[in-house]
Amino acid sequence: MLKFILKRLLVMIPVLLGVTFIVFSMMYITDGDPARMMLGDLATDEEVEALREDMGLNDPFFTRYFNYLGDLLHGDLGTSYSTRQPVSTAIMERLPATIKLAFFSCLFAIVIGVPIGIISAVRQYSIIDSISRIVSLIGISLPNFWLALLLMLLFSVQLGWLPPSGLYGPEYYIMPVISISAVSLATFARTTRSSMLEVIRQDYIRTARAKGQTEWVVVTKHALRNALIPIITIVGVQFATALGGAVVNEQIFGISGLGKLMVDSIKARDFPVVQGGVLVIAIMFSFLNLFIDVLYAFVDPRIKSQYMRGSKKKKAVAASAAAGEAQE
Amino acid sequence: MSNNENLLSIRDLTIHYFTDDGVVKAVNGINLDIARGETLGLVGETGAGKTTTALGIMRLIPDPPGKIVGGEVIFDGTDLIKESEKKMRHHRGFDFSMIFQDPMTSLNPVLTVGDQIAEVIRLHDKVSRAEANKKAADMLELVGIPAERINEYPHQFSGGMKQRVVIAIALACNPQLIIADEPTTALDVTIQAQVLALMSELREKFGTAMLLITHDLGVVAEICDKVAIMYAGQILEYGTLEDIYNNVCHPYTKGLFGSLPSLNSRVKRLSPISGLMPDPANLPEGCPFHPRCPQKCEKCTVKEPPNVEVTPGHFVRCHLFDNGKEG
Amino acid sequence: MKTGTAKKQKKRSQASETWKRLRKNRLAVVGLVILALIFLLAIFADVIAPYPYDQQDYSSTFQTPSAQHLFGTDNFGRDILSRVIYGARISLQIGFISLLGGAFVGCVLGAIAGYFGGAVDTIIMRFNDILMAIPRIVLAISIASALGPGLTNAMIAVAISSIPNFARVVRASTLTIKDQEYVEAAHCIGANNFHIIKRHVFPNVLAPIIVQATLGIGTAIILAASLSFLGLGVTPPDPEWGSMLSEARTYMRDYPYMVIFPGLAIMVTVLALNLFGDGLRDALDPKLKK
Repeated sequence: MLKFILKRLLVMIPVLLGVTFIVFSMMYITDGDPARMMLGDLATDEEVEALREDMGLNDPFFTRYFNYLGDLLHGDLGTSYSTRQPVSTAIMERLPATIKLAFFSCLFAIVIGVPIGIISAVRQYSIIDSISRIVSLIGISLPNFWLALLLMLLFSVQLGWLPPSGLYGPEYYIMPVISISAVSLATFARTTRSSMLEVIRQDYIRTARAKGQTEWVVVTKHALRNALIPIITIVGVQFATALGGAVVNEQIFGISGLGKLMVDSIKARDFPVVQGGVLVIAIMFSFLNLFIDVLYAFVDPRIKSQYMRGSKKKKAVAASAAAGEAQE
Repeated sequence: MSNNENLLSIRDLTIHYFTDDGVVKAVNGINLDIARGETLGLVGETGAGKTTTALGIMRLIPDPPGKIVGGEVIFDGTDLIKESEKKMRHHRGFDFSMIFQDPMTSLNPVLTVGDQIAEVIRLHDKVSRAEANKKAADMLELVGIPAERINEYPHQFSGGMKQRVVIAIALACNPQLIIADEPTTALDVTIQAQVLALMSELREKFGTAMLLITHDLGVVAEICDKVAIMYAGQILEYGTLEDIYNNVCHPYTKGLFGSLPSLNSRVKRLSPISGLMPDPANLPEGCPFHPRCPQKCEKCTVKEPPNVEVTPGHFVRCHLFDNGKEG
Repeated sequence: MKTGTAKKQKKRSQASETWKRLRKNRLAVVGLVILALIFLLAIFADVIAPYPYDQQDYSSTFQTPSAQHLFGTDNFGRDILSRVIYGARISLQIGFISLLGGAFVGCVLGAIAGYFGGAVDTIIMRFNDILMAIPRIVLAISIASALGPGLTNAMIAVAISSIPNFARVVRASTLTIKDQEYVEAAHCIGANNFHIIKRHVFPNVLAPIIVQATLGIGTAIILAASLSFLGLGVTPPDPEWGSMLSEARTYMRDYPYMVIFPGLAIMVTVLALNLFGDGLRDALDPKLKK
């Protein structure tokens, strides 16, 4: 198992290198002269040129890229153009809020969405099933920022029950978490339902019933654990969705998290910060996906023995499981 | 036919599936009896309604779309059709249990085989977890699997081994009746023989009655006391092993035997039954077998044949034999 | 000749079977009808919309919904209903063009990777892994910020961010199909790789692609709207639903009706696509039906 994790960590290195390269090139092709921007319109051309030289902006592309990589290895994500602060400081300040938002949203989505999906599957074609299917269809069709605006309109503007902005206490989380998690919640309900329906038809469920097992245990012990693989697969995707949702919702609810920092930096053309933000998110996301791969092994002994054998079949299994519901 | 010593008596059992495309008449008024310790072979082609009959006894017909429309299933004096779901759960796995066709899919892939055997023990015997595990290990040994493999998962076993595990589950609570639904069809021929030998050995050891569903007349000859030939949801011929093998009456049964290659008469060509099983959603009028029957007459296409007792205990559902009664 | 017609007939009957199943699904039909209506609105916006989308009228700003302005007017006195109708044009355009573009590139890459395997597969899938390591909206945001705001750039950003999913799905399906006997048979009679991919592999991975694409268009529309909402996509005065919401947000406290309709338009459009996509998936996959 440890060997598998180490192998996955090794594979992560080229992927993350690729991310740095892509993000770096994207920022490179973007127009704009950061030196001029930093010095303002009053500075002379000579001053700007001197700063460009100083910052290494006149170096060829690959020299700049490798310098950037070298700095990264030292934990240096660069310096913000606008605040002259290290990017890492700015990001570390803002990251906790975003992680908390994404985490609670994901948690909320799982805790509510999965049971709804189970009930829906067990009571297929019932009224509860119909309602939950239609509501979750609406759920995946909702733009989260619109939901955020509507919630704010109702609970802050009209009723005055909830604070409209900031993140200073539990009540501040309610609206952002609901609007960020709506899509994920609906997706969990849908995935759980279809996965459970698939599993309930299997022969081993009939075997469990033939033993005289109660329907409750058949569903929670025999069916759910088998239905869990596709659900776990989408946890990764949904965490990404939640991160993305946080980026947009931080803007609406005035939460100073990583997302707001990135959007503000894009508008200020402060690209080192954007670069750093994307990289940090990619790293978090990669670790989460590794964690999910490890989780598979605990849920499904077949995957575990594949990991042990180091066979490549696991990829096919995970891919086919993921292909089922690749909603985002 | 009725007999108080019977462990299981099925009377006029009728099971239909109500689908969007119409009513599928899977089982149409069948009668069967199994005495204690006896083995009844239920023989027929794919789609004859054998598995539906088995699931009907267990009351495990997928509902919707399946429904037990009528009839009785008397087990040890109680009509299972009228039992509450709660009481049925006490019967299943304890009074009677089932061995399924495909061992590859009938074990839960995420639970150890030990857990799956111990589960049925803990459901019906009030024993501790440790005792149940101990008994599960004993059961594994009993079916010829080393007890130390108790914590392994189904995917670590071969098909034949998995079926042994399924048998262990079925026998764990020492039920009075086992329903085995083509228990060897999915296995290799050599493994088939092993599993069959194991089943009859254990059955004799515990004195368990068995309903063996199969399409293999060779298997029937080997281990059954009585035989029922099923076709399109009906029992066409029913009798002791001798009745069926030495005094074949129904043209369909004859056809089944004619489809078997035989060493003694190798020179002859096989005489298979022509045509296919009728669509159970659209059964022909009269005798369901008449479109394929080489001996059909006018009557067969319009009137359902009665159940005729040709010799005591030997029943045939065919117009060729109803002369004596309805002339 | 004979086999050719037989094949065609089979194809047609498959499509008509799917259509028959689809027609029975009431929700899918509802989705299709709504979708058709939105398409008509988009195509005939010039005729249907009561006002030009950019006609400002400073004498009637912030009008609440009335007979004259069914959805009210905005801060420039523009008719919100007209802007929502014209917005359908932009959103459908972004949704369909960017998704089809991304789907095309993704499918080609996925098919090549799955079919040839080896180094080609490794290179393509590593690239795919890299794109997938960045959450989709963050990827779209970074691309959009590199390219700058605007309709075309937003479409490119959305298109690129939709490539990885398609590549992965098509690769997985190609891998399973590649080993099927009829593909081996095609090899044996000397068919070349391109021909085999086109004639044998592609038609068989079509069903999952179509479903993924239908559901993906909705996601693409929401993604593009999010970009515009953040000011990184379509910019005012173009009547994009997301950017309309962004503008409306400023005045939400006093004129709440302004945030209702553009969002409703997004939701209804995406809902219609999802209803249709769900129905399509069930219709293409009859084994899911009992």
